[in-house]
Amino acid sequence: MPWLAVLIAFVGFAFIALPLIGLLLEVPWGSLRDDLTTPEAAAALRLSVVCSLWATALAVLFGVPLAWVLARVSFPGRSIVRALVLLPLVVPPVVGGVGLFYAFGRDGLVGQYLYDWFGIQLTFSTAGAVFAETFVAMPFLVITVEAALRSMDRRYEDAAATLGAQPLTVARRITLPLIAPGLVAGAALAWARALGEFGATITFAGNIQGRTQTTPLAVYLLLESKPDVAIGLSIVLLAVCVAVLALLRDRWLGVG
Amino acid sequence: MRKHLRFLIAVVALSGFVAAGCGRDSDADDNASSTTKQATTAVPAVTGNITVSAAASLTEAFTKIGEDFETANPDATTTFNFGSSGTLATQILQGAPADTFASADEDNMTKLVDASLVDGSPVVFATNKLAIVTKPGNPKNVKTLADLATAGIVSLCADTVPCGKYAAQILQTAGVTIPETSVTRGQDVKATLAAVTTGDAEAAIVYVTDAKSAGSAVDAVTIPDAENAIATYPIATLTASTNKEASKAFVDSVTSSKGQATLRSFGFLPPS
Amino acid sequence: MSLHAQLALQLGSLDLEVTVDADEGETVAILGPNGAGKTTFLRVLAGLASIDRGVVVLDGAVLDDAGSVFVPPERRPIGVVFQDYLLFPHLSVLENVAFGLRSRGVGRAEARRAAADSLERLGLADRAASKPRQLSGGQSQRVALARAMATEPRLLLLDEPMAALDQSARGALRRELRAQLASFPGVRLLVTHDPLDAAALADRLVIIERGEIVQVGTFAEVAARPRSSYVAELVGVNLLQGVADGDHVRLPSGATLVAPEVVAGDVFAVVHPRSVALHREEPTGSPRNVAAGTVENVELLGDRVRIRVSGPVPLVAEVTPSAVSELGLVEGTPVWTAFKATDVTVFPR
Repeated sequence: MPWLAVLIAFVGFAFIALPLIGLLLEVPWGSLRDDLTTPEAAAALRLSVVCSLWATALAVLFGVPLAWVLARVSFPGRSIVRALVLLPLVVPPVVGGVGLFYAFGRDGLVGQYLYDWFGIQLTFSTAGAVFAETFVAMPFLVITVEAALRSMDRRYEDAAATLGAQPLTVARRITLPLIAPGLVAGAALAWARALGEFGATITFAGNIQGRTQTTPLAVYLLLESKPDVAIGLSIVLLAVCVAVLALLRDRWLGVG
Repeated sequence: MRKHLRFLIAVVALSGFVAAGCGRDSDADDNASSTTKQATTAVPAVTGNITVSAAASLTEAFTKIGEDFETANPDATTTFNFGSSGTLATQILQGAPADTFASADEDNMTKLVDASLVDGSPVVFATNKLAIVTKPGNPKNVKTLADLATAGIVSLCADTVPCGKYAAQILQTAGVTIPETSVTRGQDVKATLAAVTTGDAEAAIVYVTDAKSAGSAVDAVTIPDAENAIATYPIATLTASTNKEASKAFVDSVTSSKGQATLRSFGFLPPS
Repeated sequence: MSLHAQLALQLGSLDLEVTVDADEGETVAILGPNGAGKTTFLRVLAGLASIDRGVVVLDGAVLDDAGSVFVPPERRPIGVVFQDYLLFPHLSVLENVAFGLRSRGVGRAEARRAAADSLERLGLADRAASKPRQLSGGQSQRVALARAMATEPRLLLLDEPMAALDQSARGALRRELRAQLASFPGVRLLVTHDPLDAAALADRLVIIERGEIVQVGTFAEVAARPRSSYVAELVGVNLLQGVADGDHVRLPSGATLVAPEVVAGDVFAVVHPRSVALHREEPTGSPRNVAAGTVENVELLGDRVRIRVSGPVPLVAEVTPSAVSELGLVEGTPVWTAFKATDVTVFPR
């Protein structure tokens, strides 16, 4: 047994586990039900569910074709495009929010036309919160689906073509089912990320209770005035993420 | 070869910065000696570092006072921690190592006094009023508090932040209710202001001092005194301070005529 | 119904240039070493690769003319059995067989009925609901064939149909495949590197080496008169090249062979390893072809030993193990080879 490795591994594990344990110990189990049904908590939870599901759906809708192009189409500058698509993974979310503002704010690059021509304002709106969450969540979807597309045996698609299947039929009946595990894993990760998004949401969509104040924003604000509610909300978020990660089978995450 | 060259340049640049720093200190030395020559009472200079946790609305004023303090006390340095008074008070209650605390309301200072974390008694050093700020040109034509109800998205401080409490107070007194779906909350007054200066919020309620420091980035709308609230700013040295001498000297510089003049220049009103 | 493929294409380091014609009811085997271009040729016929020059015509319809006409695979009347069968792992056996029909617009119920029928005929009705990974090698092959034939294609392409199977299973399955192919009315083309496949399944052979055709004919024709060392090796005979003059054939090394026929010009000379005798000392006797050499390699094959001898007349001799031990034949042993003139077959190159 490599004891040194085990020891260091344990320290690493403790580093991650201790804050979670600390949080669990602070949960006011007695008042939890009441805490989570306060107007702020209820609004925050409802918004989180709605926005994160929308964000995941958009991430899948746009991310799958994007992953397909990155995996299958060879074009000049492809590696740069891929790097840009994955940028939200490393950029500080607040910076992402600022960027979103300059692109989609009322005077933004695209936002100005949305506002002037259609009267649509994305900032300070629930749609804006969905935008911010999609921005940070989509890279997870793209990266997982692209990997799945690259690792699948493309000869199945050849076989389907020789049997008479048009390209769309091949995509629908052969490609998608074969990458389904990767797609599900990517969507789950994207959803978990969208749920936890804070920086981009608060910068772009603002902090309006009932409209853009998702659970992470509510936790931040309530930490002082109603810490019990804040901790209760934190535990709910934690529980959801743990459930998502536990339900994802190891092999879908590329482990084991 | 190139690797060594880059290393050399880094060393040269670094020594340049260090030399400049030393140079500045020696300049400060000269200033200090000239100041002490001109001062009627010679104040012995304090040393060491102090961490000052101060309300966000004090950002510009305290930064200037800090610079003057360091000039007068060349061997002392000030580190500022600006934020919502509520957040700062909570941090101190949980043991954050600050030497000095300056709050935008008396409630947060009282919390610390009740927890026996304040050395001596707090001193009120300034007052402030609230103002409405809008986008330049006041496109939604906001003239009174009542107009805020129909202006669109309004940015207010969170209700646990002093400026949020004051805003709630004056809105209630004026009988104005802004629909909750139009209110975006900032975690401190600077974030609240930012929603208008670099965001799409139509208006915000912030301090008069913030309106002033935002300059041409906003249009300020005065709230009549009768409808306005007075924010009271106390400052105190903390019992957990490791440099009480320097902290007290800082408090003194805030309450001194020079400090008060600085505060006035940023729009703060006198303590009483 | 017939296939006419006269094409050239370049793929990486391979320069393929071949002309193949095949008629309905005929099984043509494309035989060649790895990298010869046979799989590429099959992919071209399937529409999975396109040609640089030439034309591919099936039943008078142009599939690819290296220019404006290229019919994609889904619109070609073809059926392909791939080397690993490539049965769709997420679909049941029934759905696999029904896939081609459904892709071409046949309703789900009807397609499934037709698929069920062909599985019934193959004796695999009880496997209809299974997933491909639950099938044995032989069952997979039969399902793959059923899937390819379900759409009644005009051209059936098979890529190394036996390669994925155990040696022990191949014999019986080859016979079965032969019967299946015989019942298929269109053009049948199979690609293989195994001469046993070619011998058992094909009516005609096309030998491809390094991108070009080196020989065509029935298996018997090719085996009797191999025109390349690859084929000779495949069939298991010795192939020598030289210049004939009367009943002598002069080899490049300078040595001479004595042959029974009267031929002249550039020739191939074939000698079966069984006809080659080995001696430790120079033999005297009736065999006219005697040469000195050195043992290069000793290989045990079942109850026989193949010995490769290098020298002016390089040969492979087939002898019994007891002979090997009696003569003390190991690598490096000097040895004399001998074979009769009547055991040599000479034919023009």
